[in-house]
Amino acid sequence: MNGYGYRLGAIGIVTTFFIIIFSTVLMPMVIFKPKTTTSANDYTVENKTGDPIRGRRIYIREGCFYCHTQFTRLQDREYGPLVKAGDFNYETPHQLGTERTGPDLTNEGNKYSAEWQKAHLIQPRALKPGSIMPSFSYLSEHDMNDLVVYLQTLGNKREVKAYVQPPDEYLPTTLTGQELLKNKHVNTSGDAEANAGRGIYTQDCAGCHGLDGRGNGPNSISLTKKPSNFTRPFFKQYSDEMWFYRISEGVVGTRMPRWNLTLSEEQRWYLVAYLKTLQKDVEETVDDLSQVNKPEQIKLPKLSNQQYEPHHGGH
Amino acid sequence: MSNLLDKFLSREEGSASRNFLLSAVWWSLWGMGAGLFAAMEFSNPDLVHNIPQFSMPHLRMWHVNAVAIGWLSMGYVSSIFYMVPNLCKTKLYSERLGNFTMWAWNLVMVAAMGTLLNGNTEGREYAELGAILDVLVVIALCSVTFNIVMTVAHRKVQKLYVSLWYFLGSLFWFPLVYIIGQRTFVALPGLNDAIVGWFYGHNILGMWFTTVGVGMMYYLIPRFTQAPLYSHGLSMLGFWGIALFYAPTGTHHITQSPVPEWLKAIAIISSIFLLVPVLTVLTNFFMTMKGKWQMVVTDLPLRFAATSCIFYLITCTQGPFQATRWVNWYLHFTQWVVGHAHLALLGTFSFILTSAIYYMLPRLTGREWQSQGLIRAHYWLKFLGFGLMMTSLTIAGLVQSAGWAMGIPVDQWVITLVPYWFLRSISGVMIVTGQCLFAYNIYQTLFGAASAPESPPKGKLKEVAA
Ligand code: HEC
Repeated sequence: MNGYGYRLGAIGIVTTFFIIIFSTVLMPMVIFKPKTTTSANDYTVENKTGDPIRGRRIYIREGCFYCHTQFTRLQDREYGPLVKAGDFNYETPHQLGTERTGPDLTNEGNKYSAEWQKAHLIQPRALKPGSIMPSFSYLSEHDMNDLVVYLQTLGNKREVKAYVQPPDEYLPTTLTGQELLKNKHVNTSGDAEANAGRGIYTQDCAGCHGLDGRGNGPNSISLTKKPSNFTRPFFKQYSDEMWFYRISEGVVGTRMPRWNLTLSEEQRWYLVAYLKTLQKDVEETVDDLSQVNKPEQIKLPKLSNQQYEPHHGGH
Repeated sequence: MSNLLDKFLSREEGSASRNFLLSAVWWSLWGMGAGLFAAMEFSNPDLVHNIPQFSMPHLRMWHVNAVAIGWLSMGYVSSIFYMVPNLCKTKLYSERLGNFTMWAWNLVMVAAMGTLLNGNTEGREYAELGAILDVLVVIALCSVTFNIVMTVAHRKVQKLYVSLWYFLGSLFWFPLVYIIGQRTFVALPGLNDAIVGWFYGHNILGMWFTTVGVGMMYYLIPRFTQAPLYSHGLSMLGFWGIALFYAPTGTHHITQSPVPEWLKAIAIISSIFLLVPVLTVLTNFFMTMKGKWQMVVTDLPLRFAATSCIFYLITCTQGPFQATRWVNWYLHFTQWVVGHAHLALLGTFSFILTSAIYYMLPRLTGREWQSQGLIRAHYWLKFLGFGLMMTSLTIAGLVQSAGWAMGIPVDQWVITLVPYWFLRSISGVMIVTGQCLFAYNIYQTLFGAASAPESPPKGKLKEVAA
């Protein structure tokens, strides 16, 4: 009978639906209760400089989570320690996010100074040329302050065991990595080695990264993707292997070349030794054209005709 | 008084469907316009300054809600109000209730525009609307359900055509999904919030947009082609497959977060199983179309519907693969996914809704479409515009994926994406222009001088069964 079939179908729909609700909505709520970890971000703690709870509400109101995520994954080499399930117990509503137009903010706290953060929110392109982050200049002083206080709480309690990681082939966990370390004869913490690296740096890197590593070499003016500023405290977490990997393979999509094509392994290790000495406690930002290194006028010596055409192949 | 009542809560046959249809088109202009605006801010972030209402995240919230709850959902209700009485050979149970729903829904949309553009959001993706609006939406949805269930109860034909299964199923579970998904009055801890959130986020698509949209395809394609449906058995298999496999897939949106592995496994496996109902449904359509493909040359509404089916095939083959861990590892967080979402909502379901509107409006009002040329222009602008959008977002997504996989800082490669974002703005211009032509065509058809009804609307409403 047709009426019967209709009723059977209706019962079928209802049962299916409730089984699914039970297994994927109710059951996780009952059996998935991770214990709050010590690294969970308790932004409700009193803070003298502002109100992070309100700041979080502004983060939501301004829709930062449409471009920024708040969970790190294994392959996110740049974004600090991996999150654990219990880290999220204070996060209601969750701000995991689904799309990353900008960087992950899980461990953003204290990565930059509060002033930097404010300036960046007002005009991102002043600090990061080519950024497409919208300007939030319309936020009131009060809003801005609380938002930045909230940003500065992010990930502060996460204990850092391992930070930025180079790909496996640079790590001692793989055969290639072990091979690499076997051939490393440079003490990357030594002063003499750093000094040796400094020579290579001045010759090969300073053109873009600047003599003192602030990303202010003469070439930096013409680059849309600005060279890194090595005075950033962020770089303190780089392991030797990470430095070595970056120097060796360059940064795809930028002018940073693959130095493994021109420098020997030994030279690159010397560079690592030098680069590790450049970090400061507070980043030295370059915010003025006058701070960009100028190429010194090269005084060419007067050369004789003979000197212009040097003899090749011996004296 | 009763005059006023009749004007605003009309009892005229087909008026609820027509009013929903017009509202849907109205909100589509706002929603798609906001999308275009947001897209332009991506390629030119300093386009507007110091106007919070036009800041990109606010525009995005409004864009998503306007196209999902305004354009698509209102259009869907319009189609349901038209198709269900036709399939049951009876009248809509209460036109007055239908019109009341229409006003409530429009009220929600106006309020949504006011609140979302100012950032008054609950901070949950796809569930941004505030508490009062959530309640209103649920009331509206329940009154639609009530209306349709009563219509079906008064039907004059015994057998329920497959479209009715889809509509009734959707109207049963979507209000529930919506209530669960809003989490308005509960505060769950982070990851549980995310699990419920993505149950909702995926099922607004899977148990509303897909199921109603597929129901509409089942209704329209046999009518356009004047051919009987290829197989009723397959259609039932497809229906139960969707009902079974769609609902638990939500967690595939957060497979890389620390939620329980068993939940991820359920989500991934059922995502892959989704290929079964999708392919059954499409086999059914394509077999119905067999030998009739040349009709898309002349029959424009059919062309929209056929395009929609093909986009559906592409979305639903992308989907299961994106859910697998390896592909997800590479593609998650990128513009690829944005492209995928547009393929479903704009490519598939907007197209089928447009097709339905081209089919329904003459039958609801008794007026023929004013201009075939405009329909053609609408099709090509939307089709090519969408193609461009999909291509640019997909390529941008692959560039981004490579960036994440190589561990390169974002600000080093974000500039690389500007050309693709620029192309997306262009595609947005094409799509919005298409939609404006569509709205203009509707306006001309309804109010233009040249289109007085040839026969009273009532006569046309009853159509011959296919
Ligand atoms: C349109 C997408 C978008 C939105 C919306 C957005 N951002 Fe960004 N954000 C970016 C991009 C792209 C970058 C990378 C370039 C840069 O640093 O400016 C970025 C960078 C950042 C950084 C620097 C991170 C780092 O470690 O280098 C912070 C902090 C930040 N955003 C905070 C916010 C806050 C707070 C909001 C909300 C008020 C917000 N963003 C909204 C796109 C966005």
